[in-house]
Amino acid sequence: MNVPSEHLLYLAAGLFAIGVLGFLIRRNVIVVLMCIELMLNAANLTFLAASRQHSTAQAANLDGPVFAIFVILVAACEAAVGLALIIALFRLKQSVEADSLSEMKG
Amino acid sequence: MNPQDLLQLFDDRALAAVAPLLALAIGIIVLLLSGVIRAFESLRAPIVVATLAFTGWLVASNFATVPGSVIDGTYIADRASSAWGLLFVVATLLAWLFSHRYYAESERPFQVEHDVLMLTTPLGMMLMAGAANLIVFFIGLEVLSIPLYALASFRRSRARSVEAGLKYFLLGAFAAAFFLYGSSLIYAATGSLQLAEIKAIGLHGPLALGGVALVMASLFFKISVFPFHLWVPDVYQGSPTPVTALMATGTKAAAFAFLINTMFMLPKSAALAVAVVALVTMALGNLGALAQTDVKRMLAYSGIAHAGTVLLVVAGTLAGDPESSGALHAALFYMGAYVFTAAGAFGLLALLERDGERFTTLEALKGLAQRRPFVAAALTIFMLSLGGMPLTGGFLGKWMVFSSLVRAGLIWPAVVGALLSVIAFGYYLRVVIALYMQPVSERDAALPSGQTSAGSAAPAAIAAAVCAVLVLVMGTLPGLFLDRLP
Repeated sequence: MNVPSEHLLYLAAGLFAIGVLGFLIRRNVIVVLMCIELMLNAANLTFLAASRQHSTAQAANLDGPVFAIFVILVAACEAAVGLALIIALFRLKQSVEADSLSEMKG
Repeated sequence: MNPQDLLQLFDDRALAAVAPLLALAIGIIVLLLSGVIRAFESLRAPIVVATLAFTGWLVASNFATVPGSVIDGTYIADRASSAWGLLFVVATLLAWLFSHRYYAESERPFQVEHDVLMLTTPLGMMLMAGAANLIVFFIGLEVLSIPLYALASFRRSRARSVEAGLKYFLLGAFAAAFFLYGSSLIYAATGSLQLAEIKAIGLHGPLALGGVALVMASLFFKISVFPFHLWVPDVYQGSPTPVTALMATGTKAAAFAFLINTMFMLPKSAALAVAVVALVTMALGNLGALAQTDVKRMLAYSGIAHAGTVLLVVAGTLAGDPESSGALHAALFYMGAYVFTAAGAFGLLALLERDGERFTTLEALKGLAQRRPFVAAALTIFMLSLGGMPLTGGFLGKWMVFSSLVRAGLIWPAVVGALLSVIAFGYYLRVVIALYMQPVSERDAALPSGQTSAGSAAPAAIAAAVCAVLVLVMGTLPGLFLDRLP
């Protein structure tokens, strides 16, 4: 079975939209982090689908897959720092809800 | 690709272009190793200074020899990116000097980690400024951002610091995801990630324009422009002050450097929209700053207003500024002056900050001129330069921005922008009045003054003095810098 590349682009757009919505709506910081990962993977899917669109039988366009590999690498670093920050927050507030981030106002 | 081709990519020119990056990387590794061995603890400061000095020298020699576009056209080391690079090295050095003796005794054991993270940021900034490929820019962005997330929450026993770091992280990662999805759409539309190829193919159709909008949104987030500026006050206020100095100067300059390289992505018809966004940013920054009693938070809002001012040069270029490098010159000079002014101002706050809270309020600055005349004088110079007073670097930067707008025929945005800059004097002068014309508040008079003896804070004091002198030199003898602009 051969899925058309356009369908993959639509699927990625849907994933990205779900990620953005989740980021804006959810209050648990860990779930917010998961939503960001969803957005990153939507970008990865688009890179791969677009790479297939732009490749010919003679020459593969590898820019997209290379970018996707870098994204996976960076996402791992980001998650490491992000989870460390969430642990620091939990130590102080015994909570990982976004509402506990309200020391500063104005 | 066979090994022979790979070797050809790294010819002498390429090595010269990436030499500053390699120097920083080696310095970071040496610093990390020195942190492991207790006997080498005293080498920490010399390693940081030597790394930054050597990197600065390499960048300066690139400014003279201009290696150009290297490694298959993914990275550019021209005069512009070298000038930005020098700015990044200076900003990092200033922030590092201000961090000396800033942290409490309980945080000192982690000073090596702090310095390693701080030394990593200029690496990311240089990658951003020299990027000619979206992958290179993304790597630079993250090499800059990830250490800053950690640095912002470096005082992890304080709720405010952790809150600042987590907010910065969540919104920064959100913006990075926008950049990635935007560049994936641009890639889907054009089939390339090279800026030069994207420019040659041109960006047409909804896919490409949507991608450009998302990429620009993430850049606007990094330079803190409306409507992506809401994170700035909290993050700047909660972070340790030397880190705030680095974020306010280096990060912003790096994002502007890339924005100026990617202006071609925006359609010409967007000039007026960009001008309006810039003016709204200036207005919101100024209004927010007027309401503040905490000087650190006030400077954060003022940073938003300054970002709006620099964004005006993008509008000027899109509207057809006849001078092709007018935007680059204005942005470079403006950010150059801003690096010294803002880093100096935040640095002085760090110097005054004894227990983290007291000295960042306007109340605590009252009558400081009597107790510490030199600190008060330097802070006054920075405030006047931020406001754009003639004879300071800030004035000339503003003048270059507005004259670029006038050349492009955008008269009314220039007028509104100039008026908004005058309003800004309202809150800058309030600081000067507190310093010189108001008596010490009674609450403060009871406390013993000068707990931070001048001796222990000498590096920070010298750095602040150098900043103050440079701000004045940029305002009175601008030819020294203008003649050397790329």
